[in-house]
Amino acid sequence: MFERVEVFYRPASVREAVRLLAGGKGRARIVAGGTDLVVDGDPTARALIDITHSGLAYIRKQGGGCAIGAATTMAELEESRTILALGGGILARAAATCGSIQIRGVATVGGNLANGSPAADLVTPLLVLDAVVVVADAKGRRKLPIAEYLAARGTKGLRQSLLVEVTAPRPLGRRCGWSFQKLGRTALDISVVNVAAGLQVDGAGRIQWARVALGAVAPTAIRAGATEENLQGRTLDAEAIAQAAEGVMREVSPISDVRASAAYRREMCRVLTRRALEECAAQAGCAL
Amino acid sequence: MTGRKVVGVNVRKVEGHKLVTGAPAFTDDIEMQGMLYGKILPSPHAHARIKRIDTRKAKALAGVHAVLTYKDVPRVPHTTAGQAWPEPSPYDTYLLDSKVRFVGDRVAAVAAESRAIAEKALRLIEVDYEVLPAVIDMELAMAPGAAVIHDEPDSTKIYDRSHNIAGYILREIGSVEQGFRESDFVVEREFRTHRQQHTPLEPHITICWLDPNGRLVIRTSSQVPYHTRRQVGQILQIPVSSIHVIKPRMGGGFGGKQEMLLEDICGALTLASRRPVKMEFTREEEFYMARSRHPQRLRMKMGVKRDGTVLASQLTVLATTGAYGSHSTTVQGNTGSKVLPLYRAPHMRFECHVVYTNAPVAGAFRGYGCPQGFFAQETLVDEIACELGMDPLDFHRMNVIRLGDTDLLSAQLGEGKEGLPRVVRSCGLPQCMESAARAIGWAQKRKKFPSGHSHLRRGVGMACTMQGSGIAGVDWASAFLKMNEDGSFYLQVGASDVGAGADTVLSQIAAETLGVTLDKVIITSGDTDITPFDVGAYASSTTIISGGAVKKAAGKVRAQVLEVASRMLDAPVDQLDCANNEVFTTCACRKAVSMTDLAMQAMYKEKFQIMDGASHFNTDSPPPFCATFAEVEVDTETGQVHVLHLASAVDPGTAINPMQAEGQVEGAVAQGLGYALTEELVLDADGRPLNPNFLDYKMFGFQDMPKLTTILIETDEPLGPYGAKSISEVPINGPAPAIANAIFHAVGIRIRKLPIRPEDVLRALHAERPANLDEEAMFAL
Amino acid sequence: MKTMELRVTVNGQPRKWSIGPGDLLLDVLRREGFFGVKRGCEKGECGSCTVLVDGRAVNSCLMFAAKVQGCEVLTIEGLADGDRLDPIQGAFLDHGAAQCGFCTPGMILAAKWLLDKNPHPSEDEVREAMAGVLCRCTGYIKPVEAVLAAAKQPAKRATRKREPAGVAR
Ligand SMILES: Cc1cc2nc3c(=O)[nH]c(=O)nc-3n(C[C@H](O)[C@H](O)[C@H](O)COP(=O)(O)OP(=O)(O)OC[C@H]3O[C@@H](n4cnc5c(N)ncnc54)[C@H](O)[C@@H]3O)c2cc1C
Ligand code: FES
Ligand code: FES
Repeated sequence: MFERVEVFYRPASVREAVRLLAGGKGRARIVAGGTDLVVDGDPTARALIDITHSGLAYIRKQGGGCAIGAATTMAELEESRTILALGGGILARAAATCGSIQIRGVATVGGNLANGSPAADLVTPLLVLDAVVVVADAKGRRKLPIAEYLAARGTKGLRQSLLVEVTAPRPLGRRCGWSFQKLGRTALDISVVNVAAGLQVDGAGRIQWARVALGAVAPTAIRAGATEENLQGRTLDAEAIAQAAEGVMREVSPISDVRASAAYRREMCRVLTRRALEECAAQAGCAL
Repeated sequence: MTGRKVVGVNVRKVEGHKLVTGAPAFTDDIEMQGMLYGKILPSPHAHARIKRIDTRKAKALAGVHAVLTYKDVPRVPHTTAGQAWPEPSPYDTYLLDSKVRFVGDRVAAVAAESRAIAEKALRLIEVDYEVLPAVIDMELAMAPGAAVIHDEPDSTKIYDRSHNIAGYILREIGSVEQGFRESDFVVEREFRTHRQQHTPLEPHITICWLDPNGRLVIRTSSQVPYHTRRQVGQILQIPVSSIHVIKPRMGGGFGGKQEMLLEDICGALTLASRRPVKMEFTREEEFYMARSRHPQRLRMKMGVKRDGTVLASQLTVLATTGAYGSHSTTVQGNTGSKVLPLYRAPHMRFECHVVYTNAPVAGAFRGYGCPQGFFAQETLVDEIACELGMDPLDFHRMNVIRLGDTDLLSAQLGEGKEGLPRVVRSCGLPQCMESAARAIGWAQKRKKFPSGHSHLRRGVGMACTMQGSGIAGVDWASAFLKMNEDGSFYLQVGASDVGAGADTVLSQIAAETLGVTLDKVIITSGDTDITPFDVGAYASSTTIISGGAVKKAAGKVRAQVLEVASRMLDAPVDQLDCANNEVFTTCACRKAVSMTDLAMQAMYKEKFQIMDGASHFNTDSPPPFCATFAEVEVDTETGQVHVLHLASAVDPGTAINPMQAEGQVEGAVAQGLGYALTEELVLDADGRPLNPNFLDYKMFGFQDMPKLTTILIETDEPLGPYGAKSISEVPINGPAPAIANAIFHAVGIRIRKLPIRPEDVLRALHAERPANLDEEAMFAL
Repeated sequence: MKTMELRVTVNGQPRKWSIGPGDLLLDVLRREGFFGVKRGCEKGECGSCTVLVDGRAVNSCLMFAAKVQGCEVLTIEGLADGDRLDPIQGAFLDHGAAQCGFCTPGMILAAKWLLDKNPHPSEDEVREAMAGVLCRCTGYIKPVEAVLAAAKQPAKRATRKREPAGVAR
C-alpha cells in the first residue's frame, strides 16, 4: 500500500517536522498514530513524517485551562487528571469511546482533528470547550478557533501545516454542566450521531450561556448556534430543553448512509441533545 | 454412571497448545521459495459481457508470471458448492467466463512476485464491457422482461433459466387446504431476511504448488478437501490422482468454506506459472467475493384450533442465491424440511423459488436455511399464541414434535431429491424449554408488565428450533487407525476440523473405544493423500458421521488388540477389557498387559500391524433440539434493542466434550445475535457492497454480548457414537425470533424483518403509538 | 524500492532488518517468520494482528514498521517461557477459550496488556480491554472466563511501564 514511500522521518522537534513538511513537495504526509492514514492508504505519499517524537505528547495546565500536544493519544486523554477535570471530563469521555485499546493507545488528538471526519469524536467536546488550535508552517505559528480550523482544514493554507496543539480555556466557574453523548450501533463504533453540550446557570436557574455541538450530521461537526442563543437567558427547565432539542433538528443537515438514514440521524439529534442537556442540568444543580 | 473415561470429559483441545503459542499451523503460515502472489480482477459491474480484454501490458510488467482470462482456461460448467457427487446445485459456474454476473465476479487472474506487482498488473488489464441491465431486487428476477443472468447454453441443472429460477421446490403432506378449512384460526404473515456474511477471522486462502512428481498440491482452508479435489480435477481437467489437497488448521468456516472458491483459479495459475502461488481474499473481498446467507422473503400461514392445536402450516419462500446457484435448492429445502416439522401438524406445504440476481453469491452458512425459516415460524407462532391468549410456552409444550414421532416432510425433501423419513429417537426438547424458561425467569417476567413510564422497556420472548445431524443417506465418512510401538494410535480421518474441535472429539471417541488416554491418540485429518475419504465438515455431520466411522474403526482395532492380549494373557477375548492404556482380564485373576508391551509383541514377535479402517453413513439425520429464551430492553427513544440475557438450552445427544459443546452454543448464539440485530451486507442499487469491512458490518464484540446461560440437556441417540447427535448449528436459529418476540412483549410491536435495526423499531413504535403502548391493551394479550 | 535498516528487539532478541520505509509492522513480522501475528482485516478492526510494542497493545497492521525503531516488540511466540506457558495461555486451554485459534494470539496479548497494567480486573474491564479483538467462534464467553481465571493466579509476569513522559496527571 505504501510501497512507493521513499523515506520515513522521525523529526525530534516541531521545527524540523515543519521543515520536512515544507520540503516534501506536497507528497510528504504527517503520521501520528497512523490509524486514519494507514486505513486510507494514500498512494501518492512519498515521504512519511512521524511526529510522535517531536515533543508533542503533553497535557499541560495553562492558566486554569490546558494545552494538549497534537501527538497526545486517546489513552493519555482518558487517564489524565487534567483532562478529567476539564469541562466535566467530556473530552476524556469522548476519547474513551474512540475505538479499541489498540487504537486508543496510538490514535492522537491531532490526527482526529486533522483527518476531518464529520464523526470524529473529539471534535464535539472541543467545540463545546471553545478550544483553539495552534498550527505551524514554514511561516510560523498561528492560532485558530477550532471551528475555523475545521472549515479551512483542506485549503491550501492549511494543508502544508502542522497542528501543534489544542488549547482549551479555563472552565467558567460554578453551576456548570457538561455532557457527551454518543450513539453507535454496537459498543465500539463510529458515531452515528454524537452530541456534546455545556452550560452555566445563575443562582435563579437562568442559563447564562449554553453550547451544543453535534457530530456526524453535517460535513464537519457543528455548533448549534441558533439553539444556543435561544437557550441563553431562559430558565433551564424541561420545556427549554425540549425546545432546544427540537431546535437542533433544524440546524443539522445529515445524510443517509449505511450507518443510518438522514431522518433517523435527525431524530437522534433531538434525543441526544435532550439527554445531554438533562445531564448538564443535573450537574448544574437544576431539578427538572 | 456410564463408566466412560474420555467421552463426556472436558479435556483440553488436542491442538490447543499450538494455538495459544502461535505455532505456524494455518494455511498462510509457510513461506515457499519463489512463491507468487495471485489476485483476481473483480468485476466492477453487476452484469456485463466482456467485449474485449487485453492483457498484454499486464503480462509485460516485470515480475508478472501469469495472466489468465476466459480465453486461456477450459470451459467446464460446475458448481462451487462442496457437496457430494452428483452435486444437487446447478452447474452454472466457470473458472473464468466472458460474462460477469455480480460486482466482484472473476474477470481475470494474475500471479506476480509480490502483492503490489499483482495489484498493479490488475490495473493494467484493459477491459471493454458491454454493461447489461442488472437484476438486483429478487422480487423482480422472475418478472417478464427481466435480464436473463444465465443465458449461456452449456449450464445445466438450472430449473428455468429464462426466468432466472435456479431451483424450485414444492412439497405437501396431507392437504393444507383441508387443514385451513378445519382450523378455527388462520394467520398469514410475511417476513424478510437479509444477507449475513460468515466473516471467518481467517479469510479464504489457498497456496498451490507442484510437487517433485509434478502433482498439484493444494494447501487450503477448506471444509471439504475431498470434494475440492474432485471439483478441481473436473475444472482443470486433470486426474484426481494428480491432486493432493491438504487442509491445515482452519481459522473458521461456518459453511463459507464448504465451497471451492480459490482452489481452482490458484491451481490454474500454478499450472500456468509452474511456481507456487498464494491467493487470499482481503477482508473486503471476503465480504462480497466469498459467500453469504441467502436472503429470503417468507410467507407463512398457520391454522390452529381454538385450543391451540396446530392443524396446518404453509411456508412459501422466495430466495435469492445471487449470481450462481451454489447450495441453492438444498439450503432452501432445509427452510422447509427442518422447520415446519417442529410442529405436529398433519398438513404441511412448502413451496420455494430460488432466483438468480446480479448480487454476491449465497451459499452454505451455519443453520443452512433454518435461521430464516425459524424466524418466520417462531415469530408467527408467538403471534398466534398471543392472539389465542395462550402463553407461548404452553403453545410450544402442546404442539412440538415428540419422541417417537416421524417427520414425513423430510422424506419428501432430501438433499436435492427425495429424502428419508426422520424418526425422533431421542428428544430433550421439553426439558430444554423448561430449563431455559427457568433460567430466564419466564413465569414471573411474562406476567410482570413492563414499567410504563421509563423510555426503557423490558420483555421476554422464546423460540424452539431443531436441525439435523448429517444428511441422511448422503453423508459418509471413513477413518483409519494403526497402533504404534509405544501403545499409541495413529488416527487418520478425512474429517475437516473447522475450528470447532472435531479433532479433539474424534480423538476422544477413539481413545474411549480403545481404552487409552487421550494423549495416546495422534490425529491427522483432512489430507487427501494420507487420510481416507470424508464428505467434509458440514450439515452438522462430523461428530455423528465421522465420529461413527472412528468408533467403528476403533472397534475393529480394539478386537485386534484383544486378540493379541488374549494370547499374551492366556485368557479368552470375552473376558478381556481395556482401559487406562492396558488390557486386563475381567475375571478374578486380574492379569493385565500394557498397550506398549502388547504393541511390541504384535509388531516384533507376531509380526503384524494392528490396524483397521471403517466407513460409516446413516439413513437418518437425528435432530438436535434447542430452546432459546431472551430478555431484552428496548429504548423507545432510539429504537435500540439491548439483549440483557439469553438462555440457550440444547439437546445434542451426548456431549462428547461438554466444554467444547458449550463453546459451540456460545459461538452460535453470538452469530445469531448479530444476525438478529446488527449484521447485514448492504448493496446499493447497482449491486455494489456498501459495507465490506468490520467498521460498518457490525458483528457482536466482547462488550456487546449479553449475559448468556448455556444449558446442555443430554439425551442418548441410538444412531450416534456414544449417543451423540450434533450441536454447532442448531443454537444459531433461536436468537432472532426469541428477540423479536421479546420486543413484542416489551413494546407491543411485531418485527418481521431482519436485522432488527433501531430505525425500524423506532418507525414501528411511532406507527403503533399510542394504542399499543397502552398498558391495558398490552395486558389483554 | 528504497530500503532502510530497522533495529528492534523482538521477543527479547535484538534484530536488524532491512525494510521498506512504508512497510507495515504486520507484513514485516510475518515476513520474518512470526506467523503468530495474524492478518484478519488490515484495517485495525479485528485485532488479530495485535502485538505489544514497549508493553502497549497495538494493531501491527496499522503501524509502520519504521515506528518500532529501538522498541521492544512482543509477539505470541515470545510469551511462553520455554515450555512454561504464561498463565493466560494455560487458562485459555483449560477454559476452552480457543476454538479455531485464529484470534487467540491477539486475545492473549490484549489480555497480557491488561493484566500487566491491572492485575485484578473486573469482568467489564476485561471486556473493554479485549474489545479490539473480534472472534467469530467463541461468543467471547470462555475467553473472558479464561482471563479472569488467569488474573486470579499468582502473578509472575514482568510488568512494563507504558506511561510516556510529559503527560500531566
Ligand atoms: C478501527 C478504528 C476505529 C476507530 N474508531 C474511532 C472512533 O470511535 N471515533 C473517532 O473519532 N475516531 C475513530 N477512529 C479514527 C482514528 O482512530 C482517529 O481519527 C484518530 O484520532 C486519528 O489519529 P491518528 O494519530 O491515528 O492519525 P493519523 O492516521 O496519524 O493521521 C490522520 C490524518 O491527520 C494528519 N495528521 C495527523 N497528525 C497531524 C498533525 N499534528 N498536524 C497535521 N496533520 C496531522 C495525517 O497526515 C493524516 O492525514 C477509528 C479508527 C479505526 C482504525
Ligand atoms: S489485521 Fe490488524 S486489526 Fe485486523
Ligand atoms: S477462536 Fe476462531 S476467531 Fe476466535
